[in-house]
Amino acid sequence: MALLTVERLVKTFGDVRAVDGVGFQVDEGRCIALLGPNGAGKTTTIRMLTGLLRPTSGEIRMEGVAPGQDYRGWIGYLPQSPAFYGWMTGREYLIHAGRLCGLSAKEAARRSSELLERVGIGAAGKRRIAGYSGGMKQRLGLAQALIHRPKLLVLDEPVSALDPIGRREVMSLLGELKAETTVLFSTHVLHDAEELCDDVLIMRSGRIAVGGPLERIREQDRKPVLTLETEGDAGSRSWLEGWLRRLPDGIEASSRTASGVRLAARDLDAARSAVLRELAEADVRVAKLEIGQTTLEDLFMKAVGNP
Amino acid sequence: MRTWLVLFRKEWLELLRSYRLIWLPISFLVLGVSQPITAYFLPDILASSGGLPEDVVRSIPLPNASEVMAGSLQQFGTIGLLLLALSSMGAVSNERASGTAAMILVKPVSYLSFITAKWASILAISWLSFAAGYVASWYYTVTLFGSVGGPSVIAGLLYFGLWLSFVGTLALLFSSLLSSPAAAAFGSLALAALLQVAASSLPFEQPWNPGRLSQLAAGGLDAALSDGGSAWLTVAVTATAIAAALYLAARSLQGHSRS
Ligand SMILES: Nc1ncnc2c1ncn2[C@@H]1O[C@H](COP(=O)(O)OP(=O)(O)OP(=O)(O)O)[C@@H](O)[C@H]1O
Ligand SMILES: [Mg+2]
Repeated sequence: MALLTVERLVKTFGDVRAVDGVGFQVDEGRCIALLGPNGAGKTTTIRMLTGLLRPTSGEIRMEGVAPGQDYRGWIGYLPQSPAFYGWMTGREYLIHAGRLCGLSAKEAARRSSELLERVGIGAAGKRRIAGYSGGMKQRLGLAQALIHRPKLLVLDEPVSALDPIGRREVMSLLGELKAETTVLFSTHVLHDAEELCDDVLIMRSGRIAVGGPLERIREQDRKPVLTLETEGDAGSRSWLEGWLRRLPDGIEASSRTASGVRLAARDLDAARSAVLRELAEADVRVAKLEIGQTTLEDLFMKAVGNP
Repeated sequence: MRTWLVLFRKEWLELLRSYRLIWLPISFLVLGVSQPITAYFLPDILASSGGLPEDVVRSIPLPNASEVMAGSLQQFGTIGLLLLALSSMGAVSNERASGTAAMILVKPVSYLSFITAKWASILAISWLSFAAGYVASWYYTVTLFGSVGGPSVIAGLLYFGLWLSFVGTLALLFSSLLSSPAAAAFGSLALAALLQVAASSLPFEQPWNPGRLSQLAAGGLDAALSDGGSAWLTVAVTATAIAAALYLAARSLQGHSRS
């Protein structure tokens, strides 16, 4: 059942068509990643979903909500750079947000304490937000988006301000949340998206270039890929030079760096044994050998890479 | 209604935490007290400075109580108004620019509640500050110059309070229409001054002009300042203008909130 349906959504700023006919569905209980290069229109799309920006044209429908009716109470939103009242404490802000969403004073206080712990800033709850670091604000932003148990959680780059450890923590938190509610998030970290989401929407210049369940998209694009990294010493390099010139049939190089290469193969099994044999014979100092199917990064590059 | 109270509580807390709830009433208190005191001691000050011959100083008439109160209103109408406009000039634009407004407006909060909660807090601080200053001025005037009529003092309070509310509402409106707080302060003060000048200097009657309010307030105290016109139309037009400004401000939040 589609919780959210978006059709032919358009937003123009003067001459710029920031969003140009976007349409997709968000099914209940799914986790959707919105991907795309800078300026693709992700934030603009998200701001229209949250009701902050009025679409130039197009339709946004929420299941069970009559057209034109206010559905903001169903959505929890974390903007790309959340802003707070610096003179409030983190806890006060959460209570304020909760009460605005219709929680009673007691319920808001209880949820606030619970969420402060959950996003990992329990100790800072009594401090003024003006003294928070960027990562702490990001976490507080996540907490305020969750305060009223929204049906749809919309997050604009939830991990971009976090350090690697914080990123892991928030990602695992999102993993938990995924089981509780429907999540739509935008990100530039493809690895995170791949790990977490069920569906992807890849945007390019205001349009959806590729969209759908991640597995299905991979299926369509199934093309066995091998990634080989050497230690980059002189011997390995010259071997790589030579080997690339006499690649066996059915294997071709799709991109290469100084010390490694990415190969596309027609028959994965044949390619695997060919490569392993060659590596053993030439005694190459292999750092990494990955044999697998297309990653989200490949899909992304293909969708937005060359126009 | 409950959301409105939550929003208003936040505005009130902000007034308190930013100390505006303290320094604005104190400023008005100082303005209100200084007028009767300087008026009372002016002859002494002039005499002790020695710049003027004795008989000239003695011939300076001491103003009567009503004139002193009217003088205080003039202080509130210039410096006081400036302070209020400065304190509310960023009410909406600052929240928009920083993005805090967007964080609130994605919650199920009506735009009108968001604006009127701010408006109520501006009115609260204006009335509180003005009343503090006005009562202090009245007390010193009565002590130093003799009594002033009770009804005219109360009428002065109400008319002038309405004038401050009107200008505060203009500041709020401009703050939601313009992105620069300084422009909002300037716009509201300039419009207020324009209305006031029009009310006092144009050669025809303007019973509809809110700019008359300060004149009405002073005129009740000091008959020499009265223009003799009736007040009800002025009050009605001002109230309507305030309601329209609030509606416009709420409209401006819709749909094209930036950043
Ligand atoms: N308020 C605005 N006024 C004018 N143009 C805008 C406005 N907001 C966005 N744009 C334009 O719309 C396009 C899409 O911007 P958007 O912020 O949606 O991109 P994004 O995909 O979120 O990018 P990023 O990954 O950098 O966050 C850009 O070309 C941007 O310049
Ligand atoms: Mg963005």
